[in-house]
Amino acid sequence: MAAEWVVELKDVMKTYRTGPIEVPALRGVSLQIAAGEFAATAGPSGSGKTTLLNIIGGLDRADTGEVWVAGQNLQQLSSGELALLRLQRIGFVFQTYNLLPVLTALENAEFTLLLQGMPARKRRERVAKLFAEIGLAGLEDRRPAELSGGQQQRVAVARAMVTEPTLILADEPTANLDSATAIALLDVMEHLNQTTGTTFIFSTHDPQVMERAHRLIRLRDGRIASDETRDRQAARAAVRGDAG
Amino acid sequence: MRSLLLLVKISWRNLWRNPRGTALTALALGLGLALLLISLGLLDGGHEQTIADGVRFGPGHVVIEEKGYQDSNSDDLLLPALLVSRVEAFLRTPEMKKIVRGVSPRLLATGLLSSSANSAGVRITGVLAQDEPAVSLIPERIVEGTYLSSDKPSGVVIGSDLAHKLEVKIGSRVVLMTQALRPPGNGTKPGSGDEMQSTLLRVSGIFRTGLQAVDANIIQLPLPAAQTLLGVPDGQVTQVAILLQHEGDSAMVARALRKQLTGEPVEVLTWRESIPMLAQILGLDHAFNYIMNGVVLAMVGLGILNTILMRVLERRYEFGVCKALGLKPRQLAVMVVGESLALTAISLALGLALGLSVEHYFATSGLDLRWIFKAGLPPALVFDPILYSRLSSNRIVWSVGIVFVMATFISFYPALKAARTELPDALKVL
Repeated sequence: MAAEWVVELKDVMKTYRTGPIEVPALRGVSLQIAAGEFAATAGPSGSGKTTLLNIIGGLDRADTGEVWVAGQNLQQLSSGELALLRLQRIGFVFQTYNLLPVLTALENAEFTLLLQGMPARKRRERVAKLFAEIGLAGLEDRRPAELSGGQQQRVAVARAMVTEPTLILADEPTANLDSATAIALLDVMEHLNQTTGTTFIFSTHDPQVMERAHRLIRLRDGRIASDETRDRQAARAAVRGDAG
Repeated sequence: MRSLLLLVKISWRNLWRNPRGTALTALALGLGLALLLISLGLLDGGHEQTIADGVRFGPGHVVIEEKGYQDSNSDDLLLPALLVSRVEAFLRTPEMKKIVRGVSPRLLATGLLSSSANSAGVRITGVLAQDEPAVSLIPERIVEGTYLSSDKPSGVVIGSDLAHKLEVKIGSRVVLMTQALRPPGNGTKPGSGDEMQSTLLRVSGIFRTGLQAVDANIIQLPLPAAQTLLGVPDGQVTQVAILLQHEGDSAMVARALRKQLTGEPVEVLTWRESIPMLAQILGLDHAFNYIMNGVVLAMVGLGILNTILMRVLERRYEFGVCKALGLKPRQLAVMVVGESLALTAISLALGLALGLSVEHYFATSGLDLRWIFKAGLPPALVFDPILYSRLSSNRIVWSVGIVFVMATFISFYPALKAARTELPDALKVL
């Protein structure tokens, strides 16, 4: 694997089986994502967006093909090694926030740091800095039920970012947010991408969100239908505009 | 260590996500423990009382008899007076004196007691008036007249049922008829045992124990009078009944006496050996109680399993998130077991508070069961209708331990379920 790729997939296939029924989710996906990219996977429901993110994040395994993340071949890692990779190198942001309801915003954000065994003072410093950066200062002691959807998703982003991972995977992070809150969240994610150089891959089917991605990978029926950078998207839009 | 503290914190807080559910589950398990403590207290108290009454209406905690008496019940088998003196001397030594409450030599035989109105077969018990009250309950249960004393050499105490049957009162004259005993090898003339003997006695006291078998059959008369009547020479007796301060010392005292009497043709028996039926009944009662408690605990356990399992299944998504974030299966299991242990700790505190309070009440005020036995106690039953609970610290530790082990064991299955949370299935939004 080339050193500059944070993620590299080679001819990855995945089929889900429910009894006699086989549902192909990915049909030979090959892809490279470089360090620091702010990429989105888009496509209609069932196109394979979530499966792709799950396989990159080590939450699921490909049937065939190779999956390299942060220099490691995921197909050859045990469950325990995958858990360690997720804990140390990958951050997750889920569609439904998925904060632990019994922990405060601060405790949720430092959850992964605690699992890593980081001392309390260092943990608190890191979380406080991140909270201030993404507009969560003052909400540290609130439980998820006491936060708005946008605030909860920011805490989820903080939880993903706090370990300073190589890669952040966000599965439809704005799906449950209104458009203003979604834009604000994307601002936060883009800001963190720009300032820390962390690679972001998120899935969406919201055109407004797609526009914010620096690279857009469109999936259809488990295959990559298009893979364009923002510049190419802009150029194509300009051509369409001229033609119009 | 830090991550363990985090898991403990999460477990504890998870417990209070549904306070009502937690309280109900804790109450169920607590009630299970309380029930266990109360039933064990009453069982042990009842048994202690039954043993105490049983041995005092019978041969004491330890009894010494001539070899073969226990099996044959032959009244001809008698202990020599010298041996009785040796036993009494040994039991008066300072170390035994602390343990022994009373020693009573007895001469036992059967006979016919007649009044002017009626006659009845009786069990004759010749006793020393000064020794018997320290061993037997009969002197304490005198309801009319007085117990035997040295100034009434021809006095006899009889049960209330027998007095009723013979239509006698205090001071009434009765005739006791019996066959002279024939102790083997004591030089008594052969054939003398066949002779019928009789003596005139005067009723000095009437006792009522509530036990028909005792009240209708047992009579007590002074030992010298009994020995004379039965033709027993040289102060021989049938048995030496020994009552101890604590039942638990029975085996130890019996061992010490066996050692002391090595080579003598005697048998030293604990109450378990001399009244085997009582020991068997108590054993059966214990077994039945253990089974009942086991059933109660199993039912409570299934309830707890259901509750914890439901809690785990409801949080499948959450466990999926934890696993996705890097929590290992073992840590997920620790989280569930921790939650279960916290629940168990609360339940045990509740159960102990409730169980020990009720047990204390029954230990001091007793559980009055007289309303069940309005018509009188069964004749063969040695039973005080007011039960006093007795719960030893061993029993408490054992009960708490068994409930704790059960609850911990039960939590393993839900913990395993949590540990086996499958990714990415658990993360699917329903």
